[in-house]
Amino acid sequence: MGWFTKKHEQLDEKKSLEEYLQRSHDFKQVSYINQHTNKKFSFSFITTLIDESILQENALPFLLEKSFETIEDIKKIIPIADLQISSDPSEMEQKLFNGYVLLTLETDQKNFAFIAAQKEVVRSITQPEVEFSVIGPKEAFIESLEQNLNLIRKRLPVKELIIEEYTVGTLSKTKVAILHMEGITDPVNVQNVTDRIKNVKFDAITDSSYIVQLISDNKNSPFPQLLDTERPDRVTAILAEGKIAIFVDGSPQALITPTTLVEFFSSFEDYFLNWILSSFFRLIRLFAVAFSILITPIYVATLSYHYELIPKDLMNTLVTSRREIPLPPILEALFLELTIELLREAGARLPTKVGQTIGIVGGIVIGTASVEAGLTSNVLLIIVALAALASFTTPVYKMGNAIRLLRFPFLFFAELWGLLGIVFCFCLLMTHLLRLTSLNRPFLEPIYPPRLTDMKDSLIRLPFRKQTMRPQTLRTLQPLRFTLTKKKKRGDIDE
Amino acid sequence: MGQVVPEKAKVSPFLVFFLVHSMQLGIGVLGFQRIIALTAGYDAWISVIIAGLSIHIILWMMYKILESVDGDIMDAHTFVFGRVVGKLITLPFIVYFSIVAITLIRTYIEVIQVWMFQDMSVFWYSLAFCGLAIYIIFGGFRTVTGVAFFGVILPLYLIFTFFFAIPYADLRNLLPIFDHSIKSLLLASYQMSLTYLGYEILLFIYPYIKDPQKSKKWAHLGVLYSTVLYTALTIITFAYFSEGQLQKNVWATLTMWKVVQMPFVERFEYIGIANWNIIILPNFCIALWCASRITKKVLHIQQKYGVIILSIVILIGINFFKTREQINTLIDYTGKVSFVINYGYIPALFFLMLIVKKVKKK
Repeated sequence: MGWFTKKHEQLDEKKSLEEYLQRSHDFKQVSYINQHTNKKFSFSFITTLIDESILQENALPFLLEKSFETIEDIKKIIPIADLQISSDPSEMEQKLFNGYVLLTLETDQKNFAFIAAQKEVVRSITQPEVEFSVIGPKEAFIESLEQNLNLIRKRLPVKELIIEEYTVGTLSKTKVAILHMEGITDPVNVQNVTDRIKNVKFDAITDSSYIVQLISDNKNSPFPQLLDTERPDRVTAILAEGKIAIFVDGSPQALITPTTLVEFFSSFEDYFLNWILSSFFRLIRLFAVAFSILITPIYVATLSYHYELIPKDLMNTLVTSRREIPLPPILEALFLELTIELLREAGARLPTKVGQTIGIVGGIVIGTASVEAGLTSNVLLIIVALAALASFTTPVYKMGNAIRLLRFPFLFFAELWGLLGIVFCFCLLMTHLLRLTSLNRPFLEPIYPPRLTDMKDSLIRLPFRKQTMRPQTLRTLQPLRFTLTKKKKRGDIDE
Repeated sequence: MGQVVPEKAKVSPFLVFFLVHSMQLGIGVLGFQRIIALTAGYDAWISVIIAGLSIHIILWMMYKILESVDGDIMDAHTFVFGRVVGKLITLPFIVYFSIVAITLIRTYIEVIQVWMFQDMSVFWYSLAFCGLAIYIIFGGFRTVTGVAFFGVILPLYLIFTFFFAIPYADLRNLLPIFDHSIKSLLLASYQMSLTYLGYEILLFIYPYIKDPQKSKKWAHLGVLYSTVLYTALTIITFAYFSEGQLQKNVWATLTMWKVVQMPFVERFEYIGIANWNIIILPNFCIALWCASRITKKVLHIQQKYGVIILSIVILIGINFFKTREQINTLIDYTGKVSFVINYGYIPALFFLMLIVKKVKKK
């Protein structure tokens, strides 16, 4: 009796699922009859998910013309590699929604086959738009996990590259892939990432930035603690370094962890340039960030409290430009900073063509008009515009956003306590960064804790020949990247 | 004895350099020159060196004490005096570090009030400062060390600003050398103790050092660096000011910044004083950390509550020091207490340790 009820339940489960699915418009069930044996068989599938041409060309003709008896025989006559036979109705729902076609025989209700016929709607690979580089590869990730993994596999054709896949999101069932190099990456890190991914509790994960926010060490920090990139070359490089990459299906951005603050200020193009140039550009970028955060607060602090600080000649210029301004420096600065933020936000939300117009209208018209109307001084206008320009040098968009926010607390403290307030706010920022970790590794490394070997690729970048060691902070299993062959002793001139 | 410090909370031995040096460099350096010159005239730079070198002996004793118990001074107290008496003897250190913290923040605010903002609110600024310190200490000892590290690295550029004084300096001010008695030289060395104070934190941070054996040389280097820095500063100050002039300047170091001139900056002391915030912060944090660490070990109050309670105590305590005279008295007494602890109590403990060890062996 036992097996009978069980079978009965299974059939019931199948029936109730089918009834449930009938309610959706795109669920279809079609029956056919084999020409030789007159066996009746039927397909069930979700039309929006499958590629019907696969069914028409690779499955249906064979099933109609070649003879078969049991469900096992089908494997032999259909030329599709991914064909699974099962008798467990609980698999049905998941398979149907993954783009499989359910094949049942009328004579055998218990067993059924799943035929893979996924429809791949994939856009083609395009140029990187967020992390554009003048030289170097021009491929960027797209929304398909398969395609993205293909891009990485092609660049790292070794068996050590391990790809683990997990499904997260109770509703979205998003596929998340964790990539690392076996024998290089610290297994503790990998385990840590895996645990965090497995513990993600959310219903619909639609992009990798959801994962960033869900698995970060400190979720209340404006600073991103996982680096996101759309460049396959960057992911390849960090995998070789011993870091971990996370890919999320449906997201053109891969995540890199653990990461450090200085990594956010290195553009991947730095590696395509000579080390002297790239070090110079990195220092320029660092200066730009400091400038962009501090210059307006310093303006407010000096003009509100410490005008003695400014030499007489410079003071003349400042006084002349501010003579007609009715507002105190802080309001003047806030007005301009907010204008810039508005322009940026409007530019980001509007379609490209309109956005450009807004930028020009805003930048030129509002700027000039507010100076002429005597609302702001032209010195401050220059300062704010330069600061905005400097903030765009941050190569990683998410870090740029964090930096946009930073100047406002600095402005507040500058108004409160002048230069002292700026230093105080800097101490706050420093402490926050000191406390941040990325995958339990210090975020400020190699500045603090100071590690000289990791300095080689941080604020400056030394030549590749000097980069013999993988970053210490990653605690890799193979700290040595390559062994340097000793050069012969240099001869004298013209020898 | 105590809880074992987890490996991930410990810091590398070379960071002891920054901990010791940043704790030493504080408010004393802003105006010590006048006081020692009052006692030993322009020979006082010798006192600076003497005081600096004498610390190495104390440091050596400290390491001996700590090594023999392989813990902090509280373990040493338990070892020498037993559980109850040991705890009683450790308790005053809470008061000591709280007073050090109060001295630091109050004097710094005094400097701000005199040089930058006359009506700077003592309460609000110290409240913000305490909040920041709590935020740092909640990050654990590694964050405290990080602040100490940046407290040494970031203000390094200030050293160069003293070069602006060199064109106006005259080394002949220092001549003749050795025209003061040994007694006045030693007295001036004693007066330096406030400026040099701070290395006693080693007694408390010792269990947090990875491989403490290796940290020895870094601790000594940290002290040596302070000595070199102070001596250089003393000599520049003496060469820049005449003896009579110096007596009129309470904060000689700050006055020297007045001479700094750059195309875009005129009154450099504003920048210097604001920057001093980064130097004072680790001092305050380490003192508060030590005090709260003792409350944890002796009174068994969790350190996070200890920090908050002590901050409130400091915030209340700071209100008792309003006038310049009161602050001076505070500085004087802190210096004296620190002198007694470093040059009186530690050698005493060192010899007691030796005796107790011998007795216990038998």
